[in-house]
Amino acid sequence: MPAPVTTILSAIDIGSSAIRMDIAEVRPDGSIHLLDSLKKGVQLGKDAFTQGWLSEESIRAACAALRDFKKVMDSYGVARYRAVATSAVRESTNSDTFLDRVLMSTGLDVEVIDGPEENRLTYIAVLESLRGMPELENAQALLVEIGGGSTDVTLLRAGEPLQSGTFPLGSIRLREAMNHASRTHEQQIRLLKRQIGNLLTNIKRSIPMKDASCYIAVGGEVRFVGKVLPGTARDGAPCVVSRDAFAEFADSVARLTVEALVQKYSLSYLDAETLTPALLAVLQLLKETQSPNVIISGASIRAGMLQDLAPEEKGKRRKQLTKQILSAARSLGRKYQYDENHAERVRELAEVLFDELKAEHGLDETDRLYLQVAALLHDIGLFINPRSHHKHSYYLVSTSDLFGLRRRELEIIANVARYHRRALPQRGHTAYMSLDRDERVVVSKLAAILRVANTLDKGQLQKATDLKLSREGDQLVLVAQNVSDLTMERVALAGRCDLFNEVFGKKLTLREAAKTA
Amino acid sequence: MTDRQIQANPFLNREVSWLEFNRRVLEEAEDPKNPILERIRFFCIFHSNLDEFFMVRVASLMRLIHDGDSTPDSAGLTPYQQLELIREMVRDLEQASYSLYNDKLLPALAKAKLRILAGESLTVSHQKHLDEYFESEVYPVLTPVAIDASHPFPHLANLSFNLAVLLVSEKKGDSERRLAIVQQPGRIPALCRVPDGDELQFCWLSEVIRRNVSRLFSGYKVLEVAGFRLTRDAELELDDEGAVDYVRMLESELRKRRIGRPIRLELEEPMTVELRELLRARLGVEESSVLTVRGPLDPRPLLRLAEMQGFDHLRFSPQPPLLQPVFRQERNIFDIVREADVLLHHPYESFDPVIEFVEAAAEDPDVLAIKQTLYRISGAGSPVLRALIRAAESGKQVTVLVELTARFDEEGNIGWARTLEEAGAHVLYGLAGLKVHAKITLVIRRELAGIRRYIHLGTGNYNERTARVYADFGILTAADDFGADASGLFNAITGYSEPPEFHRLTMAPAGMREKIISLIRREADRAKSGQHSGIIAKMNSLVDPLIIQELCAASNAGVSIQLSVRGVCCLRPGLPGFSENIRVISVVDRYLEHSRAFVFKNGGDTEVYLSSADWMPRNLDKRVELMFPVVDESSKQRVIGALQAQFADNQKARLLLPDGGYKRITPGRSEPLRVQEYLYQRIQEEHYRAVSVTPVRFEPIEGSGA
Repeated sequence: MPAPVTTILSAIDIGSSAIRMDIAEVRPDGSIHLLDSLKKGVQLGKDAFTQGWLSEESIRAACAALRDFKKVMDSYGVARYRAVATSAVRESTNSDTFLDRVLMSTGLDVEVIDGPEENRLTYIAVLESLRGMPELENAQALLVEIGGGSTDVTLLRAGEPLQSGTFPLGSIRLREAMNHASRTHEQQIRLLKRQIGNLLTNIKRSIPMKDASCYIAVGGEVRFVGKVLPGTARDGAPCVVSRDAFAEFADSVARLTVEALVQKYSLSYLDAETLTPALLAVLQLLKETQSPNVIISGASIRAGMLQDLAPEEKGKRRKQLTKQILSAARSLGRKYQYDENHAERVRELAEVLFDELKAEHGLDETDRLYLQVAALLHDIGLFINPRSHHKHSYYLVSTSDLFGLRRRELEIIANVARYHRRALPQRGHTAYMSLDRDERVVVSKLAAILRVANTLDKGQLQKATDLKLSREGDQLVLVAQNVSDLTMERVALAGRCDLFNEVFGKKLTLREAAKTA
Repeated sequence: MTDRQIQANPFLNREVSWLEFNRRVLEEAEDPKNPILERIRFFCIFHSNLDEFFMVRVASLMRLIHDGDSTPDSAGLTPYQQLELIREMVRDLEQASYSLYNDKLLPALAKAKLRILAGESLTVSHQKHLDEYFESEVYPVLTPVAIDASHPFPHLANLSFNLAVLLVSEKKGDSERRLAIVQQPGRIPALCRVPDGDELQFCWLSEVIRRNVSRLFSGYKVLEVAGFRLTRDAELELDDEGAVDYVRMLESELRKRRIGRPIRLELEEPMTVELRELLRARLGVEESSVLTVRGPLDPRPLLRLAEMQGFDHLRFSPQPPLLQPVFRQERNIFDIVREADVLLHHPYESFDPVIEFVEAAAEDPDVLAIKQTLYRISGAGSPVLRALIRAAESGKQVTVLVELTARFDEEGNIGWARTLEEAGAHVLYGLAGLKVHAKITLVIRRELAGIRRYIHLGTGNYNERTARVYADFGILTAADDFGADASGLFNAITGYSEPPEFHRLTMAPAGMREKIISLIRREADRAKSGQHSGIIAKMNSLVDPLIIQELCAASNAGVSIQLSVRGVCCLRPGLPGFSENIRVISVVDRYLEHSRAFVFKNGGDTEVYLSSADWMPRNLDKRVELMFPVVDESSKQRVIGALQAQFADNQKARLLLPDGGYKRITPGRSEPLRVQEYLYQRIQEEHYRAVSVTPVRFEPIEGSGA
């Protein structure tokens, strides 16, 4: 019998209230087929959000659950897996201990992912599950995932992410905050609503949602709504609940105590506890949009992880993701009123330089993406003040949420943007030194290119592709086609190729190509 | 309580209904149309049923009474009233059974040249042989115990047979009468062969001991010898096959005190009042718990006679299990199942494909994992078990959920489970608080097109021996949704995951009752809106009060309900305003009607389900059970046909009457039909037709160079 042509994948998600695993196979046609889905309740969030660290009991329970999951993985002969932990582990002071314990007792290498990565995975899965839904085609849509510890919000236009963010609005976190007070149920609900309202003000500040005409919600609690409301449940497929019906249901749930919810819907105590906070949060966000209904997606970050793991999908996804990240960067630029023409030209010039200098810098596609984003955003600090604007750019980039990029990646990009002018990287700069050595090398190389690209945009070059690099001894000469006089650029370059000369060890000069007409 | 109140109650008492079932078993022993060895077998089953009934049900009632609980059951009877009713019925049944034994069965056996000798029917040469047998085989293992101040009453094993001996010393001046006990040894056959020409003759071991009892008490004169048997409360429960099993409960002081309390004392007639009172006082048994019988106290050893090799002319004509045509070809069972679902109807159809399924999974190099529940297997020699051990040894992932039973514990027969563990299998011994009664096997196989899961689901155990006498259904399928459910189920019962949402399966205790009720209600709704409705359901026992209420409501809505309930049925049928549209029958014949199958007409879109669970609170609340739909259209039709045939039986079927009694259904002017013969013939014909329409397949052998 020839070797089977399917690949078995596994995605594990260590969340705030449960550990879950999906096992799937990738068929020869590239389709992903779910084989098994496991869920084991482990209250990591309760520990993390109240005491700040994971208790021995929870760590043990998590290890036991993961050991069992490993057995199931073995029974299918899983070829590739990815195991991630989200906010509960992320926010615990002893997360390293936890990861090591898991590795030692199960052999599973768990990676702690941050909010943006969680967002990206959810986005991939949601898009896959909503493929072909007309609501998504043109309009602005708000994608909301309420987790135990945090809420991810992404604004989409025509299915592409514009802006996204992770906010400390989580069902378990809210529930824990309420538990401190011994009030009546009504008072508790009022308190809960006020808390959600406060957090909502922050969310609105960074993500405008009033134009969204479509609202997509993800998460166990909203899936429950899909199951309970009559006529809505569709096996696996997304379901649509009208705005009014959702509001009515959320309010009816909020009127009941946890005990009553357990009784009425035969929920576990755990699930009942988070139901009201989550639904009220989803509802308040819904009210900020124009959407006439809630699309409840069954997608999970595990589905996104499986998509990611599928080998056939990797190249395609990479390209798509690059596009999405750039479009998110542009919308961040617009937020800070950047000079779009300049930004795009610098990006193009930087791309050409990066590609022409491949032999010199030896960097990869990911680094190229960092350069592109830094090029687009290098001047956004002007929004605050032209003076020292490179420093403001650093600050704005490093503290923004940018779809598809992790915090660490944003830190690299912010540093590249910072060094687009003035001072060169040096040991006294803490933000620079907070990066590890390899990252610092990347920042230096990319900043060197960005400085050059920025000086070249003086209006003379029609197209960036008119530039060609020629290597002449220990000199690198940029030869520009179709230009008659580049004196301005040459002067500017002379003042800005300092970093370049230092990083690449070669002198860079600029020359007009000889007319061959 | 007046008769009128009983009439207006749709519930029948559970214990009375059970005794009615055992009466039907006794009827089969009475039926002169049944071959004599089958009659003997039914007689033995009647008695072993009754023993278990006392150990389990009567014990539990006595516990209630002792605790002062006088809560009436659904039928309105307090525990005390129930016990009174039971004792009255048992006395009648016992009397009828021993009259049958002495007046009908013994003569019929003799006519077949099988004799059980006793007393004056023993010739001198018989006597000589038996006395020699006593000296050489029996005497050495007997331990008589005289009861006096220094010798307390010995511990008598539950249901063991003992002889009570009344003695008086031969010494002059010592006229004190003493009691001694001789326990009949368990290791010697209770029925011994007595050689005599070409006739087969037997004698009860108790008779042999009785003849020679004075040998045991030298210096004493034996005044009287009589057999007795004690039944104790062992906190057991009955499983669905009528076998006893331990109740899984936390140890408690209360429980320790209860265990061992006497439930019933059976005495052999004749016995003097003196010996009887001596015994009763010593054992601490109430007068009302004493039962006197005229015949063998423990007739169960007669089963050996009924199962003796040869003598087939004294048994039902054989119906050798039929192999479905699809399995007669030399084909991989996975290929067969992948092509189409297979429905198996045992014992008419062979159990071999199920064994083949597990064996093939063990050998097949593409199989990654086998997961199975084992509730009752045939013991260490079980082919299913051996296949699982081989699979584990060859490195496949084997997960087995084993339910150990009282019987296994007693025999210390859990060695096989350890062998399985040593071979590398993951063995789980049940779940806390829940017995796993579901019968399911999952085989995960890696194929060219991807992972494929093969599933066997059944209404009966993975036991090839009982599969020859229990009527059960099973299905083999490779359907995706069943596969996903099976994985989810095993993840849940191994504790790896919380129970998933099932596509096809319904699991107890998580929602099976709710599902059954919703199916019944849907029929009621169909009936109310004038659509096609109807329920046909077959099971071992119908006890659950909530489901009974729903059935009554559906009956009132105009749903026609046909129930074939072999054993206990707590629903009173034909009661105006409650159950007018409900007809209940019970088939008691050569095979134990063990399958649970339900048909819901659903406005013409008929749904058929099979299940491991009876409609009893215990099954729905305290067991892991499964109910699953039959999806394949031809399989569906086969199940419906088999169920309808039950209601056409006019030989072995009985109709439950509104008063709780049963009446045998007679052919009248129609053709006689015995469902267990009819189904065998019909399946034989179906197989024959299937073979004759299957075209011969020409499969060219591919040359390698082509």
